[in-house]
Amino acid sequence: MSSKKSRVSVHSKLTVVPSKPSGSVKTNPLSSLDHAMGLHSLHMVFYYKKNPFGSFELDPLRESLSGVISLYPNVTGRLTRLENGNWAVKCHDAGVRVIRAEVSATLDEWLRSADGSEEKDLTVWEEMPQEPNTWSPFRVQINDFEGGGVAIGLSCSHMLADLTSAILLFKSWTEVSRREPIEHPPFFNSLALHGQLVPNKHTQLGKYYATKSEEQFQASVKMATATFKFSNSVIKQCLYEVNQNCPNATPFELLAGLFWSRITRLKGPKSYNTHSLSICMDSRRLLQDPLPIGYFGNAFHFSQLSLKGEEIGHCELGHVVELVHNRVLGIKEEEFSSVMNWFEAQKGEGGKFAPPFRMYGPELTCISLEHMLVPSKVTGSINMTSLIYAATFDKDEKPVHMSCHVGNVEGEGLIVVMPSMEEGLARTVLVTLPEEELAELCEDQAILRLEPTMLLSGKR
Amino acid sequence: MPPILPDFSNSVKLKYVKLGYQYLVNHILTLTLIPIMAAIFIEVLRMGPDEISNLWKSLHFDLVQILCSAFLIIFIATVYFMSKPRTIFLVDYACFKPPITCRVPFATFMEHSRLNLKNNPKSVEFQMRILERSGLGEETCLPPAIHYIPPKPTMEAARGEAELVIFSAMDSLFEKTGLNPKDIDILIVNCSLFSPTPSLSAMVINKYKLRSNIKSFNLSGMGCSAGLISIDLARDLLQVHPNSNAVIVSTEIITPNYYQGNERAMLLPNCLFRMGGAAILLSNRRSESRRAKYRLVHVVRTHKGADDKAYRCVYEEEDKESKVGISLSKDLMAIAGEALKSNITTIGPLVLPASEQLLFLLTLIGRKIFNPKWKPYIPDFKQAFEHFCIHAGGRAVIDELQKNLQLSSEHVEASRMALHRFGNTSSSSLWYELSYIEAKGRMKRGDRVWQIAFGSGFKCNSAVWKCNQSIKAPTDGPWADCIDRYPVHIPEIVKL
Repeated sequence: MSSKKSRVSVHSKLTVVPSKPSGSVKTNPLSSLDHAMGLHSLHMVFYYKKNPFGSFELDPLRESLSGVISLYPNVTGRLTRLENGNWAVKCHDAGVRVIRAEVSATLDEWLRSADGSEEKDLTVWEEMPQEPNTWSPFRVQINDFEGGGVAIGLSCSHMLADLTSAILLFKSWTEVSRREPIEHPPFFNSLALHGQLVPNKHTQLGKYYATKSEEQFQASVKMATATFKFSNSVIKQCLYEVNQNCPNATPFELLAGLFWSRITRLKGPKSYNTHSLSICMDSRRLLQDPLPIGYFGNAFHFSQLSLKGEEIGHCELGHVVELVHNRVLGIKEEEFSSVMNWFEAQKGEGGKFAPPFRMYGPELTCISLEHMLVPSKVTGSINMTSLIYAATFDKDEKPVHMSCHVGNVEGEGLIVVMPSMEEGLARTVLVTLPEEELAELCEDQAILRLEPTMLLSGKR
Repeated sequence: MPPILPDFSNSVKLKYVKLGYQYLVNHILTLTLIPIMAAIFIEVLRMGPDEISNLWKSLHFDLVQILCSAFLIIFIATVYFMSKPRTIFLVDYACFKPPITCRVPFATFMEHSRLNLKNNPKSVEFQMRILERSGLGEETCLPPAIHYIPPKPTMEAARGEAELVIFSAMDSLFEKTGLNPKDIDILIVNCSLFSPTPSLSAMVINKYKLRSNIKSFNLSGMGCSAGLISIDLARDLLQVHPNSNAVIVSTEIITPNYYQGNERAMLLPNCLFRMGGAAILLSNRRSESRRAKYRLVHVVRTHKGADDKAYRCVYEEEDKESKVGISLSKDLMAIAGEALKSNITTIGPLVLPASEQLLFLLTLIGRKIFNPKWKPYIPDFKQAFEHFCIHAGGRAVIDELQKNLQLSSEHVEASRMALHRFGNTSSSSLWYELSYIEAKGRMKRGDRVWQIAFGSGFKCNSAVWKCNQSIKAPTDGPWADCIDRYPVHIPEIVKL
């Protein structure tokens, strides 16, 4: 464990308040899924080559930040407990914490040489205290690189937002700063997620969540992160290769299958054991009454895919991809309602939700951000554009890179498959694994064959 | 109620008696002159032209006598017009509107208070109680340096705040009046607690490249009433310098004075003082009389510093941990009441109509000669003024003055709403209040305004203005975007 001095130094902390008073103080209760994510936090970093901030104190970007958070009352409120012990957000305009830091490296140097644990310094986080009435659940961190360049970090408690909500919040900020209307305005209604209460068909799912809740973790293993960028052409080629087994595979399914099989091989496949993959997907559009993508809160769904050890070990990539594909297609409305039912059933007296457990873990979790690709608005283009890379402060100044991490991930690890800046099928994969496994993975031939660009993987 | 008559408080008959009495006494000259002139006119008509010419010849006026009388009349008239003080016009003024990024909602203020005073929950409780009863709203603003945790009150930040406030107000003033910076003859800047070298007036001269023979003054340390002291100074200077323009900048810079310790008496100003500033253009040029908004009628200054208790009631000192703050004593309201009484005694005879002064004189004689137990007559200032601008020093000050002067809630509305929207902006609060009255379209030609300010020392200063022309509700100004929401009902205690 290297204890080298961090290159990031935090020098100020302040609070940015919404520009318009919200009027009367409202208390918004959180949904059952929100409560379940209580142990986790989200951390995203957007890297820009040119710093859009000028003087900072009276910068128009600060005004636009004030303007955008006045549309998101949940973001500027503070967590409070209701009478029955459940969490709610008291929306009284307290504001968002903004932290400023300086990095003693240039942007390019950083992208080449920093690793996951250093990246954590770009989104400094403090855990929620017992009394969260002065604790800001959303934090923005502005990190200035030498020679221009900036990394804007957004961290939040997973109880209030999931990846989709957090990314769209950031994107809305950029839209307000460009004085354009917000494309995906926020929608707040924690009850919208409670589907019809159908009798519990998928008892297997209930068991799956129950196992998660009972898992006790021993002393944490040191995790490390690496980022693999795969280009459009490479993915295209790969999809062609697995075409026989799985003609309609998406890049997510391809990469999930690839990484899962390689990682399992690394861990040493035990023939008698089942290896599980937890697939984490956004459920907003998959519900029977689809939620708008601007629904602000948690709406990611975890489903499990299990394979016997020998299947992974001996079968080829195409087969694994097919299995992942079939599982993804199989996620239907009933699964969501059964999850909701399970959470409702866990409620204690007075309607208090059960204490949260680690949703990300113990098995390898793979998050899909395919829903962040929307049809391009450019006429005549058949490409899909990524909402992530549409977060531009100055017109045409797209982020150079975007990372996202989940706090308090335990167990086997986490894989996040995101769209890349390059349009089309290109993807960026963020892998968090125990240190030694990650080192081996980076040497794995099956992956290196795809010529990935490595970023933020430490000095390799 | 005059104690001469029996106690019919709400009788309608009494109201008409009062009205009749006021009309009679206030117009006594007209009422006596008219019958006399009518009598002379009728006499002249009766006499006819022949009799008049005979009367004239019988007076034996010769040329010398006529010429001397004519010269005497012309001489007296000239002396009278020359010794009349110059009229001072308020051409226009501009108030600073803070940027929205500086807004401080209650929740943020309390959160910062809890985070900065982690080890003093009692002090945090105290601040919360003060804020609940303060009469401030959710849109008051603090300068950028105070939004940091902990606050960063560097000198650079203080200068930054001064530049932001003063230059914004002055740019706004130049735009409104079309004034050329080179035409400013007198510049007075008042800011009580921040006094760098070079002075703030030098900062303004540097920024706008004002003339080298400008008469500039920088008043510091004079508290919240310094705005009216500047007006008084400008008036005196404009008597000496003909055809001149004077610009006054009134502000208070909060950044260096935000108290960082735990002493309760010193935490009070943190809860009330907020960012604000105003720039005012005064002139004695005749050409401005057409477009000027107001005419300055009186300025009355009262200083109670000779009394030790009054001197110490607002005192800047170090606390036990050597942190500097302003300590407000518990007798503040009582001392303010005394100072106000003193000021009223001086201003009363200048502004009150003859009817009120007569009543006051009669009760005074009555108390001295007949019965000292008679209640002193409090003159009705509502007859002397249409509008009141009471310095928004805090809810208690406004309540106290409303009670003492027997004002209705509409009279003090401007003060209460300015306190709610902008907080206590020290010397510039009077201008925000005047701006509120204008924005509501209540200012008509001939209306008289009374501005009262209190300040450390202890001082009570008043200024009386007369409206020169009816003012249409302005479309710009600090109240432009929110005037439709006002007046708001301000609850006794806001639940935090």
